[in-house]
Amino acid sequence: MIFFKGNSLAIVGFIIISIILFVAIFAHFLSPYDPNYIDINSILLPPSLDHLMGTDGLGRDVLSRMLYGARISLFVGFVAVGIATLIGIILGSIAGFYGGWLDSVIMRLVDIMLSIPTFFLILAVIAFLTPSIWNIMIVIGLTSWMGVTRLVRAEFLSLRQRDYVLASIVMGTSNGKIITKHLLPNSLTPIIVSSVLGIASAVLIESGLSFLGLGVQAPTASWGNILTDGKEYIQFAWWLSLFPGLAILVTVLGYNLLGEGLRDVLDPKNK
Amino acid sequence: MKQIFLLILLLIFLISCSNNNSEVIDYKDNNLSNGGVLINAMSAEPSNLISMIAGDSASSAIASKIFNSLIRYDENLNFTSDIAESWKISKNQKTITFKIKKGLEWSDGVPLTSADVYFTWKLITNPNTRTPYGADYTLVSEAKIPDEHTFIVTYDQNYAPALDTWASLEILPKHILENEDINSTFFSRKPIGSNYYKLGDWISGQQVNLIKSDNGVLGAPHIDKLTSRIIPDTSSQFLELSAGNIDLMNINPIQFKRVFPAKPKLKRRTELYKEMGNGYTYLGFNLNKKPFDDKRVRQAINYAINKEEVIKGVLLGLGEPISSPYKPGTRWNNPSLKPYAYSPKKALSLLKEAGYKMSGNNFLVKEGKALEFEIITNQNKQREMTAVLIQRRLKEIGIKVSIRVIEWASFVNRFIKTGNFDVVVLGWSLSLDPDQYNIWHSSQQGPGQFNFVGYHNEKVDLLLEKGRRELDLDKREKIYHEFSKHLLEDSPIVYLYAGYGLTAVNKRIKGIKMPAPPAGIYHNSYNWYIPKSLRRNEFTDK
Amino acid sequence: MLIGISLISFFIMHLAPGDITSSEASFNPKASEESRQKLREFYNLDKPVIIQYGLWLKRMVKLDFGNSFASHQRPVLWEKKDNNGNVIKGLIQESLPITLLINLIGIFLIFSISIILGTISAVKQNSIVDRSITFFIFVAFAIPGFWLALLLMYWTGVLNQWLPISGLHSLDYKNFSEIGQFLDLLKHLILPVSISMLSGLAGISLYVRNGMLDVLHQDFITTARSKGLEEKTIIFTHALKNAILPLITIIGLSIPGLIGGSVITESIFAIPGMGKLFYDSVLMRDFPVIMGILTIGSVLTLLGTLIADIGYAWADPRIRKGLVK
Repeated sequence: MIFFKGNSLAIVGFIIISIILFVAIFAHFLSPYDPNYIDINSILLPPSLDHLMGTDGLGRDVLSRMLYGARISLFVGFVAVGIATLIGIILGSIAGFYGGWLDSVIMRLVDIMLSIPTFFLILAVIAFLTPSIWNIMIVIGLTSWMGVTRLVRAEFLSLRQRDYVLASIVMGTSNGKIITKHLLPNSLTPIIVSSVLGIASAVLIESGLSFLGLGVQAPTASWGNILTDGKEYIQFAWWLSLFPGLAILVTVLGYNLLGEGLRDVLDPKNK
Repeated sequence: MKQIFLLILLLIFLISCSNNNSEVIDYKDNNLSNGGVLINAMSAEPSNLISMIAGDSASSAIASKIFNSLIRYDENLNFTSDIAESWKISKNQKTITFKIKKGLEWSDGVPLTSADVYFTWKLITNPNTRTPYGADYTLVSEAKIPDEHTFIVTYDQNYAPALDTWASLEILPKHILENEDINSTFFSRKPIGSNYYKLGDWISGQQVNLIKSDNGVLGAPHIDKLTSRIIPDTSSQFLELSAGNIDLMNINPIQFKRVFPAKPKLKRRTELYKEMGNGYTYLGFNLNKKPFDDKRVRQAINYAINKEEVIKGVLLGLGEPISSPYKPGTRWNNPSLKPYAYSPKKALSLLKEAGYKMSGNNFLVKEGKALEFEIITNQNKQREMTAVLIQRRLKEIGIKVSIRVIEWASFVNRFIKTGNFDVVVLGWSLSLDPDQYNIWHSSQQGPGQFNFVGYHNEKVDLLLEKGRRELDLDKREKIYHEFSKHLLEDSPIVYLYAGYGLTAVNKRIKGIKMPAPPAGIYHNSYNWYIPKSLRRNEFTDK
Repeated sequence: MLIGISLISFFIMHLAPGDITSSEASFNPKASEESRQKLREFYNLDKPVIIQYGLWLKRMVKLDFGNSFASHQRPVLWEKKDNNGNVIKGLIQESLPITLLINLIGIFLIFSISIILGTISAVKQNSIVDRSITFFIFVAFAIPGFWLALLLMYWTGVLNQWLPISGLHSLDYKNFSEIGQFLDLLKHLILPVSISMLSGLAGISLYVRNGMLDVLHQDFITTARSKGLEEKTIIFTHALKNAILPLITIIGLSIPGLIGGSVITESIFAIPGMGKLFYDSVLMRDFPVIMGILTIGSVLTLLGTLIADIGYAWADPRIRKGLVK
């Protein structure tokens, strides 16, 4: 925590994320009802002592769905970013280390992918496949690796000129060892920051996809689809909009604060 | 700095001030008068106002107000006159003679005669016309127009659905279209019709305006102008209704039963209407896949589903269970048939008969294989909820069900057309003619055809063929009653519900009939009116 | 590069099951399979994908974007006149202007407001003003757009009748004066523009803030201060100019985004723009339109990168001087 001293925003971000992670991991302990338990006699009840966050259109307890939804939202975020980061690291290292035509080809690929508006691409691909949680994660991952690639490549390009790296090459260390032992560990900063920020954006993208009906499908609960289910009754069933909306807001906020905070802290150009 | 801030505030203030305020309105005025504008909302834009070419509902909603057919349905779903003032069926039931009203005009003043009717028929049966609906009309072996007010069609064989097909064919103007390519003519965006309304402004992507026609075949409407605003998102539509910016909208059960009662200001301004819908939702089995080829399994699942619960949960009670594939309240419904009751006991005994035993972990097994399958449905909230409720009930008797929701085009192409499914939750939107040949006849199981569940019953085949040839209404009724009996007994599908059509209309609009007659509230929409005191700020129009 | 994008897009689209003939209407028992087959032949959908691509490419070389499948032969790009002199407007021709308008207003507002906010924040670093602006920025970044949109629509349109809820024009639009029409359009655009620029605003403000902070700590600023120059001059003339340089690159990179409307915003606010057009085309498998939009997108990206490079080179006196020499 001394790490973050003086950077109050990052601390706030960290606290928020920890709470959400805790809630997601312990959802099955914390949740008062089975999130998929339908009770047609309790349709659309406002928050009460029985149902702290009210019920939805099928009588399911919103609080329980929100808790399990935390799992889904975070899961989508982690896996999608994981995929993107993995691809980004691989492609970025190759481009930054080997240079030459490999670099050009990879950067061309990056340019092509960047020229198609991301959301359009995600939309198109998911509309063609069946929207499922795995497809969503893979597609978000496959469309967000460009930033990481560029960052990793930039780091590698600058680090490659360092003395200790040149020394390793002269000593005959294999390329693989150089990449994994010297270059990668020192490039972690931008990768970590971009991953954290990426999780935030993945959560937002999932909620956007849910609005269009292409997000996580029923009956699995995600914040995005709870919000979408309630959008027709926003003036009546305010609890279906308020809670998931706030949850998404706070989570994304938390990740962004953490990410920016990390960037400030880990950045050698510390003020 | 401060100045810029103040400037922005001033701008906001100016913009919001140029707004009209809503006053408190008294809706009790009932005086009939001509004029006013009715605003409603559409989710999609019409693509083409020539009904035989367009396939979407937005296009037909607008086109039906612009064009007429030979005959139409009245409020009790009997045939009545439109362009034709009378019609006679020959003794051998193979020829129909339509007598066309005299003095009819297109909105541009040109007389409407039998030549237009013949022209339209020739158009829809022309193989170069890109229409999906030509099949019915090619059954006419000969069409004659002995004079300007007579149109005679002869069929090779009696065709009972004939009159329904003539009620659906919108007659097009020969004098405008005879030299045009119907597939690409600009007429689709700028039609000339003969009905109550003609097309006014069509602002692409935003609104379609219809203005009253003074020389329509059926007379003039009371309301001067119909504006359809294109608002894709239904929650935005509801917000617009709540603000009083649109007058009419289809609503869902929750809005009908829960939202309106909770909003007194909204309720004061809006009237809610309920009518029998035009379709039903069902659970369809793939009869080509085991174990759905076993009637006992199908019936068991039918008994295991609590349909009242589905109606209560999904429709908040705003629907009815059915036992025939027909609209409740019409003569084609067999009153002696009752839906399968909810009886898990009966379900289990049928399954036992079929060879299933309860395994250790509470699932039904037969010869080592558990009874489990996947329900697929398209992206439709009500169908999704229905599937979830069914899943739960089936679990209670030991059947494991998984659910998959699929986008429409994939759904149709990868699963339905290929026969690659276990069970579906889907709906049929029905025509008003009782003929169901395309859906249930065993010859209609090819790829892309509609008997995709794979139903084959020779007795039913015969009945369907007979029903198509019998023009006598009472005899026809008997045939379809028997057909429904077989269908219920064989249970290739489980009838889930026939939902109500729910509409919210601003109280300014008068003349709507409640309770709704069998044809629904829209059948007399031309007689609706807006009393002078309740109109919006009037503005002149071109 | 253009060929690469178009090839990839074409193949992805054809991977998808279904085509224009599998719309909702095709499930109508009254519609026959042969007619659908005929339609497929007409659109060349029954030919192998490579041939379809070749046909499309052949047309594109002549800058003919073809006709849309879904809207019965409306031209994809620009209007066409038929024999009787009737003008049929192109799909992109009608959707692009409104999307461009919203995006341009948005970009203009984003840049003006972020420069202001970012600068204030940097200059008054760690003060209450800085912290609140930074907090606001982060919240703006994190709000789900459609949620905020619906809430605002409800508040400004239903509870209070301040703003219109959806659409582009009021119903009696035609009867307004020129100024009236303009104000009416602005009124309708306030909500959509605000919502769509929110995250961009947040990002750029943060960027400006960080950029300014960097610059303000550099030596030449300290020198300027020690020379006794007024703080205001320092900020505006020296610091700002340097901090803004990278923004030009960003402007260039935003150019391809100009034609991409947000599907969600356009859907909620009933704005017939490019986003909605693209989404509808995807659902309807309207290949000509999809390819048309993607092509224009790629062209604009290339253009944008080019402009960004040129702009940066021009703005940076180091490079400019170098060129002149």
